[in-house]
Amino acid sequence: MKMLIVCLALLPLGYAYYTLESAIDPIKMLYTTTGVGAICLLLLSLVPSTCKRVCGVNFLRYRKSIGLLSFVYALLHGCVFIVLDSEFDVVTIVEKSLKKPFIYVGVIAFIILLFMAFTSFKKLFARFSTYHKAVYIALVLALLHSFWAQKVAGMFEYGIVAVGIVLLGERVWAWRKNFKID
Amino acid sequence: MHITPEVLFEARRHFLKLGAGALVSTTALSKLLASMPEEIQLSFTKDANPLNLTPNTFEQVSNYVNFYEFSTDKTAPVKMAQSMKTKPWNVGFFGEIKTEQMMEVNDIVAKFGLEERIYRFRCVEGWSMVVPWIGFPLYKLLDYLEPNAKAKYVKFTTRHEPAMFPDQQKGLFASIQHPYVEGLRMDEARHPLTFIAVGMYGKTLPKQNGAPIRLVVPWKYGFKSIKSIDLIECVEEEPKNTWQVMDAKEYGFYANVNPKVDHPRWTQARERVLGKLTKQETLMFNGYEKEVEHLYAGMDLRKFF
Repeated sequence: MKMLIVCLALLPLGYAYYTLESAIDPIKMLYTTTGVGAICLLLLSLVPSTCKRVCGVNFLRYRKSIGLLSFVYALLHGCVFIVLDSEFDVVTIVEKSLKKPFIYVGVIAFIILLFMAFTSFKKLFARFSTYHKAVYIALVLALLHSFWAQKVAGMFEYGIVAVGIVLLGERVWAWRKNFKID
Repeated sequence: MHITPEVLFEARRHFLKLGAGALVSTTALSKLLASMPEEIQLSFTKDANPLNLTPNTFEQVSNYVNFYEFSTDKTAPVKMAQSMKTKPWNVGFFGEIKTEQMMEVNDIVAKFGLEERIYRFRCVEGWSMVVPWIGFPLYKLLDYLEPNAKAKYVKFTTRHEPAMFPDQQKGLFASIQHPYVEGLRMDEARHPLTFIAVGMYGKTLPKQNGAPIRLVVPWKYGFKSIKSIDLIECVEEEPKNTWQVMDAKEYGFYANVNPKVDHPRWTQARERVLGKLTKQETLMFNGYEKEVEHLYAGMDLRKFF
Protein backbone atom coordinates (compact mmCIF):
# COMPACT_ATOMS: atom_id res chain seq x y z
CA MET A 1 0.00 0.00 0.00
CA LYS A 2 2.79 2.37 0.91
CA MET A 3 4.54 1.51 -2.35
CA LEU A 4 1.35 2.37 -4.21
CA ILE A 5 1.15 5.77 -2.51
CA VAL A 6 4.77 6.48 -3.39
CA CYS A 7 4.28 5.48 -7.02
CA LEU A 8 1.07 7.51 -7.36
CA ALA A 9 2.67 10.55 -5.76
CA LEU A 10 5.68 10.39 -8.05
CA LEU A 11 3.60 10.08 -11.23
CA PRO A 12 3.47 13.86 -11.85
CA LEU A 13 7.27 13.92 -11.78
CA GLY A 14 7.42 11.24 -14.46
CA TYR A 15 4.95 13.20 -16.53
CA ALA A 16 6.98 16.39 -16.07
CA TYR A 17 10.10 14.57 -17.20
CA TYR A 18 8.28 13.18 -20.21
CA THR A 19 6.94 16.60 -21.32
CA LEU A 20 10.06 18.59 -20.51
CA GLU A 21 11.33 18.46 -24.07
CA SER A 22 8.16 20.02 -25.49
CA ALA A 23 7.41 22.38 -22.59
CA ILE A 24 6.98 26.00 -23.68
CA ASP A 25 8.31 27.47 -20.42
CA PRO A 26 10.22 24.49 -18.98
CA ILE A 27 11.62 26.17 -15.85
CA LYS A 28 8.17 27.50 -14.94
CA MET A 29 6.66 24.08 -15.65
CA LEU A 30 9.13 22.39 -13.26
CA TYR A 31 8.51 25.07 -10.62
CA THR A 32 4.77 24.54 -10.91
CA THR A 33 4.88 20.73 -10.90
CA THR A 34 7.21 20.49 -7.89
CA GLY A 35 5.59 23.37 -5.99
CA VAL A 36 2.01 22.25 -6.52
CA GLY A 37 3.09 18.68 -5.68
CA ALA A 38 4.75 19.74 -2.44
CA ILE A 39 1.74 21.78 -1.26
CA CYS A 40 -0.86 19.18 -2.21
CA LEU A 41 1.09 16.43 -0.43
CA LEU A 42 1.61 18.67 2.58
CA LEU A 43 -2.16 19.23 2.77
CA LEU A 44 -2.74 15.51 2.28
CA SER A 45 -0.37 14.71 5.13
CA LEU A 46 -2.75 16.58 7.45
CA VAL A 47 -5.75 14.53 6.33
CA PRO A 48 -5.09 11.23 8.26
CA SER A 49 -5.40 12.74 11.74
CA THR A 50 -8.47 14.76 10.73
CA CYS A 51 -9.91 11.58 9.26
CA LYS A 52 -9.35 9.73 12.50
CA ARG A 53 -11.05 12.41 14.59
CA VAL A 54 -13.94 13.09 12.24
CA CYS A 55 -14.85 9.66 10.88
CA GLY A 56 -12.80 7.30 12.97
CA VAL A 57 -10.86 5.86 10.04
CA ASN A 58 -7.20 5.40 10.85
CA PHE A 59 -4.76 6.22 8.05
CA LEU A 60 -2.09 7.50 10.40
CA ARG A 61 0.39 4.83 9.27
CA TYR A 62 0.64 6.60 5.87
CA ARG A 63 1.22 10.06 7.29
CA LYS A 64 5.01 9.81 7.40
CA SER A 65 5.25 8.61 3.78
CA ILE A 66 3.05 11.43 2.54
CA GLY A 67 5.03 13.99 4.53
CA LEU A 68 8.34 12.67 3.20
CA LEU A 69 7.00 12.75 -0.36
CA SER A 70 6.03 16.36 0.18
CA PHE A 71 9.58 17.02 1.32
CA VAL A 72 10.97 15.32 -1.83
CA TYR A 73 8.85 17.66 -3.98
CA ALA A 74 9.96 20.69 -1.94
CA LEU A 75 13.58 19.58 -2.30
CA LEU A 76 13.23 19.33 -6.08
CA HIS A 77 11.47 22.72 -6.07
CA GLY A 78 14.50 24.17 -4.26
CA CYS A 79 16.80 22.48 -6.77
CA VAL A 80 14.94 24.17 -9.63
CA PHE A 81 15.51 27.48 -7.84
CA ILE A 82 19.23 26.89 -7.31
CA VAL A 83 20.19 24.97 -10.45
CA LEU A 84 17.93 26.16 -13.26
CA ASP A 85 16.61 29.53 -12.11
CA SER A 86 19.73 30.92 -10.39
CA GLU A 87 22.28 28.74 -12.23
CA PHE A 88 24.34 28.21 -9.04
CA ASP A 89 25.00 31.95 -8.77
CA VAL A 90 25.44 32.11 -4.99
CA VAL A 91 25.29 35.90 -4.84
CA THR A 92 21.89 36.13 -6.53
CA ILE A 93 20.59 33.16 -4.54
CA VAL A 94 21.48 34.85 -1.23
CA GLU A 95 20.37 38.25 -2.45
CA LYS A 96 17.03 36.96 -3.72
CA SER A 97 16.49 34.89 -0.57
CA LEU A 98 17.03 37.89 1.66
CA LYS A 99 15.38 40.63 -0.40
CA LYS A 100 12.31 38.97 -1.81
CA PRO A 101 9.79 38.06 0.90
CA PHE A 102 8.09 35.46 -1.24
CA ILE A 103 11.37 33.59 -1.57
CA TYR A 104 12.41 33.70 2.09
CA VAL A 105 8.94 32.63 3.15
CA GLY A 106 9.45 29.60 0.91
CA VAL A 107 12.94 29.00 2.26
CA ILE A 108 11.69 29.03 5.89
CA ALA A 109 8.91 26.57 5.00
CA PHE A 110 11.52 24.35 3.35
CA ILE A 111 13.81 24.45 6.40
CA ILE A 112 10.89 23.31 8.58
CA LEU A 113 10.20 20.40 6.23
CA LEU A 114 13.91 19.57 6.14
CA PHE A 115 14.00 19.44 9.95
CA MET A 116 10.93 17.22 10.01
CA ALA A 117 12.32 14.87 7.37
CA PHE A 118 15.56 14.47 9.33
CA THR A 119 13.77 13.77 12.58
CA SER A 120 11.12 11.48 11.12
CA PHE A 121 12.97 8.22 11.88
CA LYS A 122 12.27 6.23 15.01
CA LYS A 123 15.02 7.33 17.36
CA LEU A 124 14.90 11.03 16.62
CA PHE A 125 11.15 11.16 16.19
CA ALA A 126 10.65 10.20 19.83
CA ARG A 127 12.69 13.20 20.88
CA PHE A 128 11.47 15.75 18.34
CA SER A 129 7.87 14.77 17.57
CA THR A 130 6.43 17.65 19.60
CA TYR A 131 8.28 20.08 17.34
CA HIS A 132 6.56 18.52 14.34
CA LYS A 133 3.65 20.84 15.12
CA ALA A 134 5.76 23.33 13.14
CA VAL A 135 4.21 21.75 10.05
CA TYR A 136 1.33 24.19 10.54
CA ILE A 137 3.73 27.11 10.22
CA ALA A 138 5.28 25.48 7.16
CA LEU A 139 1.85 25.07 5.60
CA VAL A 140 0.83 28.68 6.18
CA LEU A 141 4.16 29.91 4.78
CA ALA A 142 3.92 27.60 1.77
CA LEU A 143 0.43 28.87 0.99
CA LEU A 144 1.61 32.47 1.30
CA HIS A 145 4.57 31.63 -0.95
CA SER A 146 2.33 30.22 -3.66
CA PHE A 147 0.05 33.25 -3.41
CA TRP A 148 2.92 35.70 -3.82
CA ALA A 149 4.52 33.80 -6.67
CA GLN A 150 1.60 34.62 -9.00
CA LYS A 151 0.96 37.92 -10.69
CA VAL A 152 -2.63 37.51 -9.46
CA ALA A 153 -3.86 34.55 -7.46
CA GLY A 154 -6.16 32.24 -9.41
CA MET A 155 -8.61 29.44 -8.61
CA PHE A 156 -5.88 27.01 -7.53
CA GLU A 157 -4.35 29.40 -4.99
CA TYR A 158 -7.72 30.21 -3.43
CA GLY A 159 -8.61 26.51 -3.53
CA ILE A 160 -5.58 25.33 -1.56
CA VAL A 161 -6.03 28.14 0.95
CA ALA A 162 -9.63 27.00 1.46
CA VAL A 163 -8.51 23.39 2.01
CA GLY A 164 -5.79 24.62 4.37
CA ILE A 165 -8.32 26.64 6.39
CA VAL A 166 -10.64 23.63 6.71
CA LEU A 167 -7.82 21.35 7.90
CA LEU A 168 -6.37 23.87 10.35
CA GLY A 169 -9.86 24.96 11.46
CA GLU A 170 -10.80 21.38 12.30
CA ARG A 171 -7.72 21.16 14.53
CA VAL A 172 -8.56 24.36 16.37
CA TRP A 173 -12.09 23.13 16.84
CA ALA A 174 -10.97 19.70 18.11
CA TRP A 175 -8.49 21.35 20.47
CA ARG A 176 -11.18 23.64 21.90
CA LYS A 177 -13.54 20.73 22.45
CA ASN A 178 -10.84 18.82 24.35
CA PHE A 179 -10.17 21.87 26.41
CA LYS A 180 -13.80 22.20 27.49
CA ILE A 181 -14.08 18.56 28.54
CA ASP A 182 -10.99 18.90 30.68
CA MET B 1 -0.53 35.29 -67.73
CA HIS B 2 -2.82 35.50 -64.74
CA ILE B 3 -1.58 33.77 -61.61
CA THR B 4 -4.09 33.00 -58.88
CA PRO B 5 -2.78 34.26 -55.55
CA GLU B 6 -2.22 31.52 -52.98
CA VAL B 7 -4.97 32.86 -50.72
CA LEU B 8 -7.61 32.64 -53.43
CA PHE B 9 -6.30 29.29 -54.58
CA GLU B 10 -6.66 27.91 -51.06
CA ALA B 11 -10.08 29.53 -50.73
CA ARG B 12 -11.19 27.97 -54.01
CA ARG B 13 -10.13 24.53 -52.82
CA HIS B 14 -12.14 25.02 -49.65
CA PHE B 15 -15.10 26.18 -51.67
CA LEU B 16 -14.93 23.09 -53.87
CA LYS B 17 -14.70 20.88 -50.79
CA LEU B 18 -17.75 22.63 -49.36
CA GLY B 19 -19.69 21.88 -52.55
CA ALA B 20 -18.68 18.25 -52.37
CA GLY B 21 -19.53 18.18 -48.66
CA ALA B 22 -23.01 19.58 -49.32
CA LEU B 23 -23.74 16.60 -51.60
CA VAL B 24 -22.95 14.16 -48.82
CA SER B 25 -24.58 15.59 -45.70
CA THR B 26 -25.11 18.73 -43.74
CA THR B 27 -22.98 17.46 -40.85
CA ALA B 28 -20.07 16.93 -43.23
CA LEU B 29 -20.67 20.47 -44.44
CA SER B 30 -20.60 21.99 -40.98
CA LYS B 31 -17.47 20.00 -40.15
CA LEU B 32 -15.77 21.42 -43.23
CA LEU B 33 -16.93 24.92 -42.36
CA ALA B 34 -15.43 24.52 -38.90
CA SER B 35 -12.11 23.45 -40.40
CA MET B 36 -11.90 26.55 -42.62
CA PRO B 37 -8.66 28.28 -41.70
CA GLU B 38 -9.54 31.51 -39.93
CA GLU B 39 -6.02 32.79 -40.21
CA ILE B 40 -5.48 34.09 -43.68
CA GLN B 41 -2.08 34.45 -45.24
CA LEU B 42 -1.24 38.17 -45.33
CA SER B 43 0.87 40.03 -47.84
CA PHE B 44 3.47 42.28 -46.27
CA THR B 45 6.99 43.67 -46.57
CA LYS B 46 9.42 41.29 -44.91
CA ASP B 47 11.67 42.38 -42.05
CA ALA B 48 15.37 42.21 -42.97
CA ASN B 49 15.98 41.15 -39.32
CA PRO B 50 19.06 43.32 -38.77
CA LEU B 51 19.42 42.09 -35.15
CA ASN B 52 19.52 38.52 -36.41
CA LEU B 53 16.90 37.36 -33.94
CA THR B 54 15.66 33.77 -34.01
CA PRO B 55 11.87 33.71 -33.69
CA ASN B 56 10.20 31.24 -31.36
CA THR B 57 7.93 28.69 -32.97
CA PHE B 58 4.35 29.62 -33.82
CA GLU B 59 3.21 26.79 -31.48
CA GLN B 60 5.08 28.33 -28.55
CA VAL B 61 3.84 31.86 -29.14
CA SER B 62 0.23 30.86 -29.78
CA ASN B 63 -0.01 28.43 -26.84
CA TYR B 64 1.45 30.56 -24.05
CA VAL B 65 -0.50 33.77 -23.55
CA ASN B 66 -1.67 36.14 -20.87
CA PHE B 67 -5.26 36.97 -21.77
CA TYR B 68 -6.97 37.68 -18.46
CA GLU B 69 -10.27 38.47 -20.20
CA PHE B 70 -10.50 34.67 -20.50
CA SER B 71 -8.34 33.21 -17.74
CA THR B 72 -5.20 33.83 -15.71
CA ASP B 73 -3.93 30.50 -17.03
CA LYS B 74 -1.43 30.61 -19.89
CA THR B 75 -2.97 27.88 -22.04
CA ALA B 76 -6.68 27.99 -21.18
CA PRO B 77 -7.34 31.07 -23.39
CA VAL B 78 -6.15 29.12 -26.45
CA LYS B 79 -9.40 27.15 -26.52
CA MET B 80 -11.61 29.69 -24.81
CA ALA B 81 -10.76 32.50 -27.23
CA GLN B 82 -11.92 30.54 -30.27
CA SER B 83 -15.48 31.72 -29.63
CA MET B 84 -14.43 35.36 -30.13
CA LYS B 85 -16.18 37.19 -32.96
CA THR B 86 -13.44 39.28 -34.51
CA LYS B 87 -15.09 40.09 -37.84
CA PRO B 88 -16.21 42.75 -38.38
CA TRP B 89 -14.31 44.70 -35.71
CA ASN B 90 -14.62 48.45 -35.47
CA VAL B 91 -12.02 50.48 -33.65
CA GLY B 92 -13.01 53.90 -32.33
CA PHE B 93 -10.65 56.87 -32.59
CA PHE B 94 -11.59 59.64 -30.19
CA GLY B 95 -10.30 62.49 -28.07
CA GLU B 96 -7.94 65.25 -29.07
CA ILE B 97 -7.80 64.47 -32.79
CA LYS B 98 -8.99 66.23 -35.93
CA THR B 99 -11.98 63.99 -36.72
CA GLU B 100 -13.32 61.42 -34.29
CA GLN B 101 -14.29 58.27 -36.17
CA MET B 102 -14.70 54.49 -36.25
CA MET B 103 -12.85 52.24 -38.67
CA GLU B 104 -13.12 48.54 -39.47
CA VAL B 105 -9.88 46.56 -39.12
CA ASN B 106 -9.82 45.61 -42.82
CA ASP B 107 -10.11 49.29 -43.79
CA ILE B 108 -7.33 50.16 -41.36
CA VAL B 109 -5.09 47.52 -42.92
CA ALA B 110 -5.94 48.76 -46.43
CA LYS B 111 -5.08 52.32 -45.41
CA PHE B 112 -1.75 51.75 -43.70
CA GLY B 113 -0.38 48.64 -45.40
CA LEU B 114 1.41 45.78 -43.71
CA GLU B 115 5.00 45.06 -42.80
CA GLU B 116 6.77 42.48 -40.69
CA ARG B 117 8.65 43.33 -37.48
CA ILE B 118 10.70 40.67 -35.73
CA TYR B 119 10.78 41.87 -32.12
CA ARG B 120 11.92 40.64 -28.75
CA PHE B 121 9.02 40.37 -26.31
CA ARG B 122 9.72 40.36 -22.56
CA CYS B 123 7.02 39.63 -20.01
CA VAL B 124 7.17 41.24 -16.56
CA GLU B 125 6.85 37.69 -15.15
CA GLY B 126 10.36 36.85 -16.34
CA TRP B 127 9.87 34.98 -19.62
CA SER B 128 10.64 36.20 -23.10
CA MET B 129 10.24 35.29 -26.75
CA VAL B 130 10.90 36.56 -30.26
CA VAL B 131 7.87 37.12 -32.48
CA PRO B 132 7.54 38.09 -36.15
CA TRP B 133 4.57 40.46 -35.96
CA ILE B 134 2.66 41.75 -39.00
CA GLY B 135 1.16 45.22 -38.88
CA PHE B 136 2.13 48.86 -39.23
CA PRO B 137 3.86 51.47 -37.07
CA LEU B 138 1.44 53.42 -34.86
CA TYR B 139 2.81 56.79 -36.07
CA LYS B 140 1.18 56.16 -39.49
CA LEU B 141 -2.20 55.96 -37.80
CA LEU B 142 -1.46 59.01 -35.63
CA ASP B 143 -0.36 60.99 -38.70
CA TYR B 144 -3.71 60.19 -40.25
CA LEU B 145 -5.70 61.08 -37.10
CA GLU B 146 -3.86 64.38 -36.62
CA PRO B 147 -3.76 64.79 -32.84
CA ASN B 148 -4.08 68.44 -31.75
CA ALA B 149 -1.80 70.40 -29.39
CA LYS B 150 -3.66 69.12 -26.31
CA ALA B 151 -2.90 65.46 -27.12
CA LYS B 152 -0.07 64.51 -24.75
CA TYR B 153 -0.82 60.80 -24.35
CA VAL B 154 -2.43 57.97 -26.27
CA LYS B 155 -4.87 55.79 -24.35
CA PHE B 156 -5.83 52.29 -25.51
CA THR B 157 -8.81 50.28 -24.28
CA THR B 158 -9.60 46.60 -24.80
CA ARG B 159 -13.13 45.82 -25.93
CA HIS B 160 -15.60 45.51 -23.06
CA GLU B 161 -18.02 42.80 -24.15
CA PRO B 162 -18.85 40.41 -21.30
CA ALA B 163 -20.65 38.04 -23.69
CA MET B 164 -17.33 37.51 -25.44
CA PHE B 165 -14.90 37.76 -22.51
CA PRO B 166 -15.97 35.56 -19.57
CA ASP B 167 -13.79 37.31 -16.97
CA GLN B 168 -15.67 40.55 -17.69
CA GLN B 169 -18.88 38.89 -16.45
CA LYS B 170 -17.46 38.25 -13.00
CA GLY B 171 -17.84 41.76 -11.61
CA LEU B 172 -16.09 41.97 -8.25
CA PHE B 173 -14.59 38.52 -8.71
CA ALA B 174 -12.89 39.38 -12.01
CA SER B 175 -9.14 38.73 -12.05
CA ILE B 176 -8.39 42.34 -13.07
CA GLN B 177 -10.34 45.55 -13.55
CA HIS B 178 -12.12 45.63 -16.92
CA PRO B 179 -11.88 46.95 -19.53
CA TYR B 180 -8.10 46.72 -19.76
CA VAL B 181 -6.47 50.12 -20.31
CA GLU B 182 -2.97 51.01 -21.42
CA GLY B 183 -1.26 54.25 -22.37
CA LEU B 184 1.82 55.75 -23.96
CA ARG B 185 3.31 59.21 -23.92
CA MET B 186 2.85 60.83 -27.34
CA ASP B 187 6.57 60.62 -28.18
CA GLU B 188 6.61 56.93 -27.21
CA ALA B 189 3.52 56.33 -29.31
CA ARG B 190 5.10 58.10 -32.30
CA HIS B 191 8.37 56.18 -31.98
CA PRO B 192 9.04 54.18 -35.16
CA LEU B 193 9.34 50.92 -33.16
CA THR B 194 5.83 51.24 -31.68
CA PHE B 195 3.68 48.90 -33.67
CA ILE B 196 0.05 47.95 -34.26
CA ALA B 197 -0.14 44.25 -35.09
CA VAL B 198 -2.94 42.46 -36.92
CA GLY B 199 -0.95 39.33 -37.61
CA MET B 200 2.06 37.19 -36.78
CA TYR B 201 4.02 34.50 -38.62
CA GLY B 202 2.59 35.75 -41.90
CA LYS B 203 -1.02 35.15 -40.88
CA THR B 204 -3.78 37.07 -39.13
CA LEU B 205 -3.44 37.05 -35.33
CA PRO B 206 -4.69 33.91 -33.58
CA LYS B 207 -7.60 34.92 -31.35
CA GLN B 208 -5.74 34.09 -28.14
CA ASN B 209 -2.94 36.45 -29.17
CA GLY B 210 -5.19 39.50 -29.10
CA ALA B 211 -7.07 39.34 -32.40
CA PRO B 212 -7.92 41.18 -34.45
CA ILE B 213 -5.75 44.18 -33.60
CA ARG B 214 -3.25 44.80 -30.79
CA LEU B 215 -0.38 46.99 -29.72
CA VAL B 216 3.29 45.90 -29.61
CA VAL B 217 5.84 48.04 -27.76
CA PRO B 218 9.06 45.97 -27.85
CA TRP B 219 11.08 47.89 -25.24
CA LYS B 220 8.37 47.68 -22.58
CA TYR B 221 7.08 44.74 -20.55
CA GLY B 222 4.47 42.71 -22.39
CA PHE B 223 1.51 44.01 -20.40
CA LYS B 224 1.86 47.37 -22.19
CA SER B 225 1.10 45.60 -25.48
CA ILE B 226 -2.69 45.66 -25.08
CA LYS B 227 -4.83 43.09 -26.90
CA SER B 228 -8.10 43.24 -28.89
CA ILE B 229 -8.20 47.02 -29.03
CA ASP B 230 -11.59 48.74 -29.03
CA LEU B 231 -10.63 52.39 -28.55
CA ILE B 232 -7.63 54.57 -29.25
CA GLU B 233 -7.91 58.02 -27.71
CA CYS B 234 -5.55 60.97 -27.72
CA VAL B 235 -5.73 62.55 -24.29
CA GLU B 236 -4.23 65.37 -22.24
CA GLU B 237 -3.67 63.51 -18.94
CA GLU B 238 -1.54 60.43 -18.33
CA PRO B 239 -3.94 57.47 -18.55
CA LYS B 240 -4.12 55.12 -15.55
CA ASN B 241 -3.13 51.76 -16.97
CA THR B 242 -4.81 48.66 -15.53
CA TRP B 243 -1.81 47.09 -13.79
CA GLN B 244 -0.90 50.39 -12.16
CA VAL B 245 -4.47 50.63 -10.86
CA MET B 246 -4.24 47.01 -9.65
CA ASP B 247 -1.00 47.59 -7.73
CA ALA B 248 0.88 50.87 -8.10
CA LYS B 249 3.78 49.60 -5.97
CA GLU B 250 4.49 46.81 -8.40
CA TYR B 251 3.56 48.24 -11.81
CA GLY B 252 4.08 51.74 -13.13
CA PHE B 253 3.02 53.71 -16.17
CA TYR B 254 6.28 53.34 -18.08
CA ALA B 255 7.06 49.62 -17.56
CA ASN B 256 10.28 49.85 -19.55
CA VAL B 257 12.25 46.61 -19.59
CA ASN B 258 15.10 47.28 -17.17
CA PRO B 259 17.37 44.58 -15.70
CA LYS B 260 18.49 46.98 -12.97
CA VAL B 261 15.07 47.75 -11.57
CA ASP B 262 13.55 44.71 -9.86
CA HIS B 263 9.91 43.88 -9.55
CA PRO B 264 9.23 44.05 -5.78
CA ARG B 265 8.69 40.28 -5.69
CA TRP B 266 11.25 39.02 -8.22
CA THR B 267 14.38 40.12 -10.04
CA GLN B 268 14.34 41.28 -13.65
CA ALA B 269 18.06 40.75 -14.34
CA ARG B 270 17.63 37.56 -16.34
CA GLU B 271 14.89 35.93 -18.36
CA ARG B 272 13.63 32.52 -19.45
CA VAL B 273 13.42 32.27 -23.22
CA LEU B 274 10.41 30.15 -24.13
CA GLY B 275 11.44 26.60 -25.02
CA LYS B 276 14.81 26.79 -23.23
CA LEU B 277 16.00 25.29 -19.95
CA THR B 278 18.73 27.91 -19.59
CA LYS B 279 18.25 31.60 -18.89
CA GLN B 280 19.75 34.67 -20.54
CA GLU B 281 20.59 38.24 -19.52
CA THR B 282 17.80 40.76 -19.88
CA LEU B 283 18.94 43.74 -21.94
CA MET B 284 18.33 47.39 -21.09
CA PHE B 285 15.12 48.49 -22.84
CA ASN B 286 14.93 44.87 -24.03
CA GLY B 287 17.82 45.46 -26.43
CA TYR B 288 16.38 48.63 -27.99
CA GLU B 289 18.46 51.01 -25.86
CA LYS B 290 20.06 52.84 -28.78
CA GLU B 291 16.68 53.53 -30.33
CA VAL B 292 14.71 54.64 -27.28
CA GLU B 293 17.00 55.86 -24.48
CA HIS B 294 16.66 59.50 -25.61
CA LEU B 295 12.96 59.32 -24.72
CA TYR B 296 13.90 59.00 -21.05
CA ALA B 297 16.91 61.31 -20.83
CA GLY B 298 17.16 62.81 -17.34
CA MET B 299 14.38 60.65 -15.92
CA ASP B 300 14.93 58.58 -12.77
CA LEU B 301 13.96 55.13 -14.08
CA ARG B 302 13.74 53.76 -10.51
CA LYS B 303 11.01 56.27 -9.77
CA PHE B 304 9.30 56.08 -13.15
CA PHE B 305 9.33 52.29 -13.46
